[in-house]
Amino acid sequence: MISNSVKFLLNDKILEIKNPDPNQTILNYIRTELKKTGTKEGCSEGGCGACTIVLGELINNKIKYNSINSCISFVPSLNGKQLLIVEDLVSKDGKLHPVQDAMVRFHGSQCGFCTPGFVMSLFSMFKNNKSFNNELITESISGNLCRCTGYRPIIDAAKSLNKINRKDEFSKNENKIIKLLKKIKSKNIYIKKDDKVYFSPKNIKDLKNIIKNNSKFNFLAGGTDLSLKVTKERKDILSIIDLKEIKELDFIKVNKNYMEIGAATPLIKFEDEIKKYYPDFYSVLKRYGSVQIRNVGTIGGNIATASPIGDTLPILLSLNAEVLIESFNQKKVLPINNFFIDYRKTKLKKNEFIRSIKIPLFKKNIFKAFKVSKRFDDDISSVCGSFNFEINKNKIKEAFIAFGGMAAVPKRAKACEKILKNKPLTINTFDKAKNYLEKDLSPIGDMRASKEYRLEIAKNLLMKCFIEINSNKLTRVN
Amino acid sequence: MSKETYVEEIRPHDSAYKHVSGYAEYTDDINEPKNTIHGAIGLSKKAHAIIKKIDLTEVQKSEGVISIVTQSDIPGRNDVGPVFDGDPIFPKKKVEFYGQPLFAVAATTTELARKAVLKAKVTYKDLKPVITIKDALNKKQFLFKPRKIKKGNPSKKIKNSKNYIKGNFTTGSQEHFYLEGQAAFVIPKEDDNFLVYSSTQHPSETQQLIAKMFGQKSNSISVEVRRIGGGFGGKETNFMTACICALLAKKSGKPVKLRLDRDDDIILTGKRHEFLSQYEVGFNDDGIIEGLKINLSSNCGMSPDLSAAINERALLHIDNAYYISDIEVINNLCRTNIPTSTAFRGFGGNQGMMAIENIIDNISRYLKKDPMEIRKNNFYQKEKKNVTHYGMTIEDNVINEIFKNLENKSNYKKRYLDIRKFNEKNKFKKKGIAITPVKFGISFTTIHLNQAGALVHIYTDGSVYLNHGGIEMGQGTHTKIAQLVANSFGLPYNLVHISSTNTSKVPNTSASAASSTTDLNGAAALNAVKKIKLNLEKFIKKKYKIYNQEAVYKDQHIIFGNRQFEFKSIIQEAYLNRISLSSSGFYSTPKINFDKKKFRGRPFYYFCYGAAVSEVTVDTLTGENVLERVDILHDAGKPINPALELGQIEGGFVQGQGWLTIEELNWKSNGQITTFSPSTYKIPAVSDIPKKFNVEIFKKGFNKEKVVNKAKTTGEPPLMLAMSVFYAIKDAVASIGNYQIVPELNAPATAERILMSINKIKNKIKNQNGR
Repeated sequence: MISNSVKFLLNDKILEIKNPDPNQTILNYIRTELKKTGTKEGCSEGGCGACTIVLGELINNKIKYNSINSCISFVPSLNGKQLLIVEDLVSKDGKLHPVQDAMVRFHGSQCGFCTPGFVMSLFSMFKNNKSFNNELITESISGNLCRCTGYRPIIDAAKSLNKINRKDEFSKNENKIIKLLKKIKSKNIYIKKDDKVYFSPKNIKDLKNIIKNNSKFNFLAGGTDLSLKVTKERKDILSIIDLKEIKELDFIKVNKNYMEIGAATPLIKFEDEIKKYYPDFYSVLKRYGSVQIRNVGTIGGNIATASPIGDTLPILLSLNAEVLIESFNQKKVLPINNFFIDYRKTKLKKNEFIRSIKIPLFKKNIFKAFKVSKRFDDDISSVCGSFNFEINKNKIKEAFIAFGGMAAVPKRAKACEKILKNKPLTINTFDKAKNYLEKDLSPIGDMRASKEYRLEIAKNLLMKCFIEINSNKLTRVN
Repeated sequence: MSKETYVEEIRPHDSAYKHVSGYAEYTDDINEPKNTIHGAIGLSKKAHAIIKKIDLTEVQKSEGVISIVTQSDIPGRNDVGPVFDGDPIFPKKKVEFYGQPLFAVAATTTELARKAVLKAKVTYKDLKPVITIKDALNKKQFLFKPRKIKKGNPSKKIKNSKNYIKGNFTTGSQEHFYLEGQAAFVIPKEDDNFLVYSSTQHPSETQQLIAKMFGQKSNSISVEVRRIGGGFGGKETNFMTACICALLAKKSGKPVKLRLDRDDDIILTGKRHEFLSQYEVGFNDDGIIEGLKINLSSNCGMSPDLSAAINERALLHIDNAYYISDIEVINNLCRTNIPTSTAFRGFGGNQGMMAIENIIDNISRYLKKDPMEIRKNNFYQKEKKNVTHYGMTIEDNVINEIFKNLENKSNYKKRYLDIRKFNEKNKFKKKGIAITPVKFGISFTTIHLNQAGALVHIYTDGSVYLNHGGIEMGQGTHTKIAQLVANSFGLPYNLVHISSTNTSKVPNTSASAASSTTDLNGAAALNAVKKIKLNLEKFIKKKYKIYNQEAVYKDQHIIFGNRQFEFKSIIQEAYLNRISLSSSGFYSTPKINFDKKKFRGRPFYYFCYGAAVSEVTVDTLTGENVLERVDILHDAGKPINPALELGQIEGGFVQGQGWLTIEELNWKSNGQITTFSPSTYKIPAVSDIPKKFNVEIFKKGFNKEKVVNKAKTTGEPPLMLAMSVFYAIKDAVASIGNYQIVPELNAPATAERILMSINKIKNKIKNQNGR
């Protein structure tokens, strides 16, 4: 079952795009082909939220409403989903959706350009949750920038939704939509348009066949980084294999000793699981990027991209995670500590894909992770530090320490670890150890932070660990 | 206006329904004729260089390309400088900033046009760029001769003062980051006429500049703006986009849309002026400033643009709310190889105010006193100490009341002490608090700009059509002016139709800027209403033989004593009797005058006042911080629509907070900007705003002057309320040295700068103890 067309619901109508350009963004499609201009282009990189749309997806016979950045998502990813845009939240008789109505009543718009994006983010929140506390509201709109209001009226509008009848047009229509979604249930996609090809297999077997028979391609596992090649560099991505539709790559398994996560599992799904074991991993993920980004971004994508500022990477390094790799005829396991070779280079060979990641669950260890960036929401780390200590009777048995933003690759601080190992848990130990970070790390200065600041932060984060372990209290401002 | 009744009515923004439903139309959303083509601009990759050759062969061949324009296609003036020349649309010989437009392309789609411009081959001969204020000062590279203003004898006063400090202080640049980027849509019409849609705060100047570029008369160009997605000064000049779009339309003969991609927008448009102040000040033991000398230098970028006026406003606000008897300021306007620095909410005023607030803060820390007390000691008074350094007597001073009121309301004194206790107990988290005042002068300081026009029609069905010269950019000027007009006619709001700003309806308008849009255009609209009313009243009085009765407009009726006329039917009747139901209106601000040379006069019609208290917690190991609580009391006069004013106050505050904390622009030494997208340039997001945000409009607010509704504008002034955030951070940093060492901290106070400032204090302590 292979199709070269993309079938989706535009609200409640089935649309089919035959042989689309696989590099066309959903935003471009909405504005230039659907001729609906409510969805805005703000930045073309998923950084402002003006282009936010919601994709309804059938999960366990229920619709999950995911907000995403349409400016960095390609048209084929609409396949099998329900596309909801701001115009379609208005009922057919012109009545505003409760989310829209609240935005009007609380003066949540001024210039109005960011507003459709906020409306869609809040709509997704409204549909996926039962009640809306401050934390949820803040998180839901952390990927939407507004330059006029200062956000307070938007937060108030969101809070007011707690008092609103939860039944909206969409819940009334839900059964009908579910039926339609089942009807258009997606098939394997293979698009060939001019010199561009796009594969979206549904299972590993088909994936292996594709990589067996093709040599040059880019894996798409969320695409929040890859898509910028089109939207920012103005280049074409000639061959894409989309991994997101492979259900076998989207799972989380937990046993006594480790958690295994499918490579194409969205970060947003992963963060709720990992919270139970490593709360700081969860805290860093919340700052990793906006909801829109975490809805599509995957842990496998973050690893394969191998950016020195990929926030999960130092954490996985300090937790000694393992990467399970497959090609069409082979399987292997690599410790993540041997995985990164150089700037954005990994041991992943051509025709290999990441199947899953295994994270050991250290029950007795003390684990801490910190992200420092200019802004709390949706920013790239100046420094991301991750610390995994085994401490016994006030003695440091083991220390696994890793940093992001401190070298060309996410990097373990082995000299520092060595100094800490088998030493007493005292301030002197840490004071001494922190200086070894200068040996381990070689940060650069750029627009985010200077070299000196980065090094200072790395040292201070180590000290913070000691302070927090010693006092058994967190010393953080956010 | 004797019978004027005041409006005070909360209602949503006129476009709120359309904003939330996606039906509000911005320039790029306008439906295109089928033959429309799409533009993109080719940018310079050098900041300072001689252009040797521009080879566009590959661009021409690129898929979808229909038209290319270069400087040789410009028949008239190749410059978009609003006051002075210096902003070529495409430079002939020399590039003066990284990202300067060199040519432009129109293609069948925006994507193809953007791909095509990257294919140009440009060869340059490199020249050394000058990027920073320091570089420019060293090279004495100025736009104009340094300017000196002086009052009294500051040198002598400083010499005789008991206390003396000197220092340097900088405030950073700021990118506007309006959510809707620069965009234009130009449609060629017959007779070489052009219909221009542009996302601009200044349609009249757009019209004039396109006309000059074409060597045509202004009457052949018509510019229309329904709304813009934020401006903040960034669309007050910046006429490049509209001009290039028009040029492409003229050359191709087709409608052309041109919208800048976010990166290009940040790379090629001007930003807020970075300022350096070098000061010395003498003061007494109460912290009262006795003599002040400042060198105020700003980074103006590559051309004059509005820099003269912006620096002038900095000089006019170097006092903020403080009486300074003896002062000298030398002002350097530095010319550098970055995009021309331009208008941005506050327009230099905020930079001047930050310079004096830094001095006041340092005086307080030198004297080891609560900065609040020193601020109060220096305030302008009502009867004495009420003349500014430019000779204007302040007649509407309410800063003392507002400050006192806020001090009590926010429980400042107790919190100040509690914070000191907290800081004694906590080593790694430090709190800080600050209260700062705002006094901001309202009017364009270029006097002739203080004028506005409007056009009001009543149609025979009794509905009202309203047009004026102001631009709706989110501030709600259309809503407020419609409220004024509806109120004046005694009609419900929905009978007044707000229409697009259009140079064919109201000519020769000033930019929607200087916080004056509603004041000026609202008054012009009411002037038009008044003329129509006179016609109507004359007609009614004559026909119904009413004498010596004044008309009252209420509940869709015109009432003369006991005679009532239903509005709709009397309009119909007036029409049948051939009475004019349409009028233009005009307004020019009275009382103002300013001698720019002597730096004397009354440049401002009135002042706006406000104050804010901010409290922060700083992580002393990372410099990260949170804004725990903010209390604001702001004077909006008698607000027309309190909800919209509140929106301006809160939004302005958060924008100012961004300017002074996390928003940091960065240029490499070769002049290449490295912060040109939301991933590298961070404006405040939702987690940055105060955890507790108590904002109140000053209840006793009232405008002494004849301003519409006795309101006071809330456009720019609230931005400066955010100064309190910066000084609260500085207060937290000062706690590291137990308030004995004055922190060195420049704006923006990024986490990095905060940590470095903390470390400097720690090192000082170490050195002291070491000795």
